[in-house]
Amino acid sequence: MEKNLTYESAYLELSGIAHEIETESVSVDVLAKKVKRASDLIEFCQLKLRATETEVNKIIKQMENPPV
Amino acid sequence: MEAPSYPVNPAAIRLSALTKQIQQVIDGVFGLQTFWIIADITNHTYKSQGNYHYFELVEKEQSSSKIVARIAGRAWGNACVHISNFERTTGQQFKNDINVLIQVAVQYSTAFGLQLNLLDIDTNFTLGLFEQQRKYTIARLLAENPGFIQLSGTQFITRNNQLPLSRVIQRIAVISSATSAGYQDFRHTLDHNSFGYRFEVDDYFSMVQGESNAKQFLARLIEVFESDRKYDALFIIRGGGSQTDFLIFDNYELSRAIAKFPIPVITGIGHQKNETIADLMAHTATKTPTKAAELILAHNRAFEELLIGIQKMMLIKTFQLINHYKDRLAHLNQVTIHTTRNLLHEHHRSILQLSGLVLTNPRIIISNKRKDLSNLTGNIHAYSRMYFTNKRGYIGHFKSVVRLMSPQNILNKGFAILKVNGKIVSDTATIETGTLLTIATANAEIKTIVESKNEIDGKEFNV
Repeated sequence: MEKNLTYESAYLELSGIAHEIETESVSVDVLAKKVKRASDLIEFCQLKLRATETEVNKIIKQMENPPV
Repeated sequence: MEAPSYPVNPAAIRLSALTKQIQQVIDGVFGLQTFWIIADITNHTYKSQGNYHYFELVEKEQSSSKIVARIAGRAWGNACVHISNFERTTGQQFKNDINVLIQVAVQYSTAFGLQLNLLDIDTNFTLGLFEQQRKYTIARLLAENPGFIQLSGTQFITRNNQLPLSRVIQRIAVISSATSAGYQDFRHTLDHNSFGYRFEVDDYFSMVQGESNAKQFLARLIEVFESDRKYDALFIIRGGGSQTDFLIFDNYELSRAIAKFPIPVITGIGHQKNETIADLMAHTATKTPTKAAELILAHNRAFEELLIGIQKMMLIKTFQLINHYKDRLAHLNQVTIHTTRNLLHEHHRSILQLSGLVLTNPRIIISNKRKDLSNLTGNIHAYSRMYFTNKRGYIGHFKSVVRLMSPQNILNKGFAILKVNGKIVSDTATIETGTLLTIATANAEIKTIVESKNEIDGKEFNV
């Protein structure tokens, strides 16, 4: 996976591929390549989401129980 | 005793005989008559033993104070009770230099001479005199000092009572008698106040009774004025006493000075009846020294309560503000938490949706493509089969057509072929009469010559 990939750009690319696949406008020649790319992007996005969620939960816990 | 006779003048008589005559005349003229007279008292003495007042009654010329009438007077018995009542009611001691209205009887005693017996003394006359004096003084104050003493309705407006009072009264000057109970009350009330207020009190002691002390009092007032101390107020303190004790406070110069005084003057003069002129001129008048002290305490307390009020208000407002911001922050906190969670959830959901899409659709695509492919294969099989069937059909058709069209078959149906010179003739134009024709039938060839030729429409065979 390339460096400097942001969630936004990954998501944008992923939804593009998904749209192609959904409308079956993707050609079989590149289907496997596209699916592989999509799976990589999904993994990236989920990792990023989980990391963000963990961090956010930590912060929220601090917000809800502020140190007195 | 037998008096010796003098031969010099046989007409001479004894003094007692004359005084007796005088007594007879006076008694004859005045008898038991009584008179109300206005006079000044002078040379007064009082013998408590026997309860006798001895005095002289005089009348002076108003302008020159020259005595125009003088007569001895005395009072005893019942009259002394009247005098005591008079003193109690008016507060005016029966003494020299007072102007009184008295009821008298003329009496001539051979031993003591002519004198007036005091029978009664008019209280209201003396009170009226005080009141008159008071009115006169007030009128004079108004007339001579329009710059700083005015009357508005029943209220006096003086420079002093227009002065603003400091918010807190702390530095005070007191004019009072050093030994008076009123002064002690005043100091006690100030020094032992329950609020714990502290005062800087400067004493300017003076005699504060009797009109004769007005000058001393005035001098104290000037001392206060010249002291260079920034007093918040000047207190004039005087305990209870008889009405004449307060005459000092009706003094013209004193009242005028108070009216003009640049420091607010507060009086605490313990009188029961109407206010003194000093009270009217002062900034504030109270009825007793204690009340004067309580006034300062209440005044200062009002300021403290104002401060406490402001403090409370500030505290409340501060708490309210803090709570307001706390609530807002908590709300934002909640919103942030909620929105963040929603956002994350939303992202999760959309990723799952996309990944579902990406997971399932390729299979569908491949399966679709596979289906397409197998359809195509099936089609190809079917089409080729049909193709061949059709071709076979065509071929069969052509075979039967060819079979039907074969000359032998036609000849078998009864048709014949015309030949001229060995060549098949399809156009009869070349056939003329006499032409040698070869007629080929299915199983024989006939040679013949044309006898005749008629053109026909050929309708007979029009199928």
